[in-house]
This record gives sequence, structure tokens and C-alpha cells, in this order.
Amino acid sequence: MEVLRIRGLKKSFQGNQVIDGIDLSVDEGKIFGFIGQNGAGKTTTMKMILGLLKMDQGEILVCGEKVSFGETKTNAHVGYLPDVPEFYGYMTPMEYLRLCGEITGMEKKVLERRGVELLQLVGLGASKKKIRSFSRGMKQRLGIAQALLHEPKLLICDEPTSALDPMGRKEILEILLSLRGRTTVLFSTHILSDVERICDEVAVLHGGHIVLQGTLEELRKKHRKQGLVLEFSLAEELKMFQGMKELTPFTMEPEGKLRLVLLHEEMHLLQKAVYEALLSASLIPVKMELLEPTMENLFLEVVK
Amino acid sequence: MMAYWAFLKKELLESMRTYKTFVLMMIFIIFGILNPVMAKVMPELLEALLPEGMTITIEEPKALDSWMQFFKNGAQTGMIILTVVFSGLMAGELSKGTLINMLTKGLKRRTVILAKFTGALLQWTVAYGASFLITYGYTSYFFPPEQLPHLALAIMAMWVFGLILLALVIFGGLLFKNIYGALLTTGSAVLVMTLLSLFPKVKPYNPMTLVSDNVALLMGEAMARDMFSAMGVTILLTLGLLVLSMVDLIKITE
Repeated sequence: MEVLRIRGLKKSFQGNQVIDGIDLSVDEGKIFGFIGQNGAGKTTTMKMILGLLKMDQGEILVCGEKVSFGETKTNAHVGYLPDVPEFYGYMTPMEYLRLCGEITGMEKKVLERRGVELLQLVGLGASKKKIRSFSRGMKQRLGIAQALLHEPKLLICDEPTSALDPMGRKEILEILLSLRGRTTVLFSTHILSDVERICDEVAVLHGGHIVLQGTLEELRKKHRKQGLVLEFSLAEELKMFQGMKELTPFTMEPEGKLRLVLLHEEMHLLQKAVYEALLSASLIPVKMELLEPTMENLFLEVVK
Repeated sequence: MMAYWAFLKKELLESMRTYKTFVLMMIFIIFGILNPVMAKVMPELLEALLPEGMTITIEEPKALDSWMQFFKNGAQTGMIILTVVFSGLMAGELSKGTLINMLTKGLKRRTVILAKFTGALLQWTVAYGASFLITYGYTSYFFPPEQLPHLALAIMAMWVFGLILLALVIFGGLLFKNIYGALLTTGSAVLVMTLLSLFPKVKPYNPMTLVSDNVALLMGEAMARDMFSAMGVTILLTLGLLVLSMVDLIKITE
């Protein structure tokens, strides 16, 4: 079942077309990575899903219901974690969750039980400290708790890890991972290692369009040539190796004076040719490694 | 309705924990005590300050002097304190972004405005009421009973002026999304009202009358009718500002 469906979405600010006709669908229970450079339009798209921004054109459906600008009813299905969540610093986490629950109209008993459960889940336990004394990571974890309070079908997280230290990032990613299968997560980021760590599916937003969408595995297979990285001790050796006729069918990308990246769709053909060339020229590289098709490489390739 | 009570509760908790209620209460309680005390000791104070050998005739202080102090302190320092204490009412939320979470949870804009206004109104009423009761108590104790026409109306008038100040800081905060903007809006509106009071014909419709003619009303030099019409106009303007803040003319999320 589709939890989120976006069709032909467009949005411009003062003549600048930020979102230019995007189509997107997110299935239930998936962790969906929404990738893009800073200013690509990720937050704009998320705010339109939440009805906080008016769309110029297009349609957004959350759990089959149409999103409208301002006070949209679809937010009953959505939990939202902003990039830098702001809270009332004079409250304790439980007081804040109580306020959120009362606003959403939750029953008192359910609210108390759910509040305790969620604070446990995000590792804030029975903290009686005021939120103003919380670190960024703790605020981000409280942000997840408030977003999950009314058991939303869709959790929207806007760059939840971008302002955190490695420990804080790890904690947030683990919490999001623990939601897999239960809550659909739309997770925007420009930290590609985070995407590789937790996402089932990704979409890359660039120039106002979705330029890439699919599971990580599909994308790796489809878009990235496999390769080898070789490093020589002398620049002359590299020059000699580059000129060998066995290597002409392959793409060669020198990296500095001593390193060379060789790319091809058929890895076994590439490996065979490289070994033959090295043998015939009696060259021994100081380093030879497989080039892993990382999300970063893939991203750089599609936004090039 | 549940969201309104929840947000109102939050507003009152915020005021208490950030000491706004405390500051407001303390200042108005101090005014309440100072008004009759100052009226009582002022002649003796003046006498003590006069150079030796010089004599002036100072009338025996009366209850009216105490109420003159009440309206002078209320109209000047009191209104400034009220505006400054609540200047971040809307602006604070918008500049910090604390409202975004609440809005995505289905909290309606009109609920926010209404809860903020009623929260501030409650505190203003309690602080002003306390100041009035203390002044009333000490005035009755220190001074002989005096017939003061329209005292209740004069008291009510200043309270109503407080309402328009609260509506102005909300509207200004919404418009500029920062505290300075809220203060600037309120200050500009008060300046316009002060300039309007130069025209006697506008007096019955000018909110400024509510804080400038109180003593004249007690002395029988101003008309109750003018005060009633100024109160009517002020209440209408307050409601207008609140409605303008509730409708979507000024964006709070884009």
C-alpha cells in the first residue's frame, strides 16, 4: 500500500523554480531516503507534504487522502521531525509530550502510556530535566518521540542527523532503523553514508526533478560501472600501464600522478585484462583494490 | 476545544516558569501599595524638602490623590510593563520556530491566537485587579471616605486599554515575527492614538481617552458617555486585530 504519493508537484519562489514537476511514491513500512544537495528542495517538498507550504501545481496524497494547504487533515497520519526541532525549554520531555498529545486529542491514559514508552524508546527515560538543558542529540531524540506520539503512518524526518556528532547520528539512525516495517519513514539527508546504512529505497532530487529512484541494490546495478583502483610507486609506471593496448576497451580515470581508476560493466573482463597487462609489462602495483559502487559515487554521477 | 485548553495551560505555565507572571504581579502589587502611601506621605515629603524658613500651604491629602497616583502609574509605567512583558507572546514563538511542531499536530491558527490572548488577558486582569484591590484597601484605611463619581468606570477603562495593547503585540509579533517588531507596532499605534487626542472631536472614539481622562472623570470634568464610546471603539479595534491575526492574511509558516 502507498503511504505517500506525489504527482506533478511544482513550487517556485520569486520566479526561481525549486520543484519542477516531481513524482514520487513511498510504500508502507519502508525507510525512504530523500537525497539532495543543500537547497535542492527537500525541505520545501516536505513542508508541502505537511500542508505548511502552498504548492503551485500538482497533488500530494497521504494514505490516499489529498493534502491541502494549512491545517490539513492528512497530518493526522503524519509525524514530523524538523531539521532543528525547537521546543519549549521550560518544560520536561513528558510535559511536552502531554501538550502534543492533548493537542492531537489523545485520551489521557493512552497518552501517558505512549509517552513513557516513547521516552524509553528514544533513551530519555524518566528524565525530569528541563528541555533547555538538553544537548542537540537529546533534542533530536525528543523530536522523534513527539513525532511518533500519535502513532503516525508516515514519519517525515528533515535531515535529522546533519547537526549531530557521530554518536548522536548513530543513536538517531538506530531509532529510525527500529521503526522499519512498523512506520514508513521519509528521511531527507545529504549524508550519503546514513542513507546506505538505513534506507530501503532512495530518490535523488536535483534541479527540481527526481533524477534517480529505486532500491539501493537496483541503483548500484543500474547506474554504476564496476571498477578497479591501482596505485603505482612511480609516475612512469602508471604512464606505461595506461598506454598498454590490452586496456583500450576500458574507461580510465587517473587520480593524481600515481593512481588510476579503471571502469567497466563486466568486472571479470576488466580483471583479466588488468592482470594480463601487468604481467606482460612486468609491473607490480603497490596497491590494487575493487571499487565499491558507493552511494556517494552514484550521487556524484547523477548530479554531474 | 481540548486543544484550546491545552494551549492555554501551556501559555500560563510558560508565563509562570519564565517569571512573566511574577514580574507583572510584583510590579502591580508594588503600585497598589505605593499609590496610597505616596499620596499620604507626599505633603510631608514636600514639607521636609522645602528650604528652611519657606512655607507653602499644602492641602490635606484625600482619597482622590491616591487614585490620581493609581491612574498615573497605571497609564505610564504600568502599560509599558504590560507591553514589554507580553511582547514575545507571538513573536517569540515565530522567531524560535516552536509553533511548527504544534501546527503539524493539527493545532489551528485561531486556537493559538485565542489561547495566547486569553492567557495574557487572565494575567493582566489578575495583576491589575490585585493592584486595584490593594489601592482600594489602603485608600479606605488612610483617607476619609470621599464621593468619587464613576470610579468603577475609570478603573474599567484602563483595563480595556490593556486589551488593545495585548492585541497589538500579538498582531505586531505576527507581522514582523520578532519582539522589536511587536514593540514597534504597539509603540506606533500608541503614538498615533496620542496624536489623535490633540483633536477634541476624536476624543470619544480614541482609545487613548481610556488612560488619559480617568482622573478628570473622577473629578467630574470628563463625561462618562465619552468614556463608554471610547471603550466600545477600543473593544471593536481589539476584536478586529484578533480577527486579522486569526485569518490567513499574514503567513506564519512560509
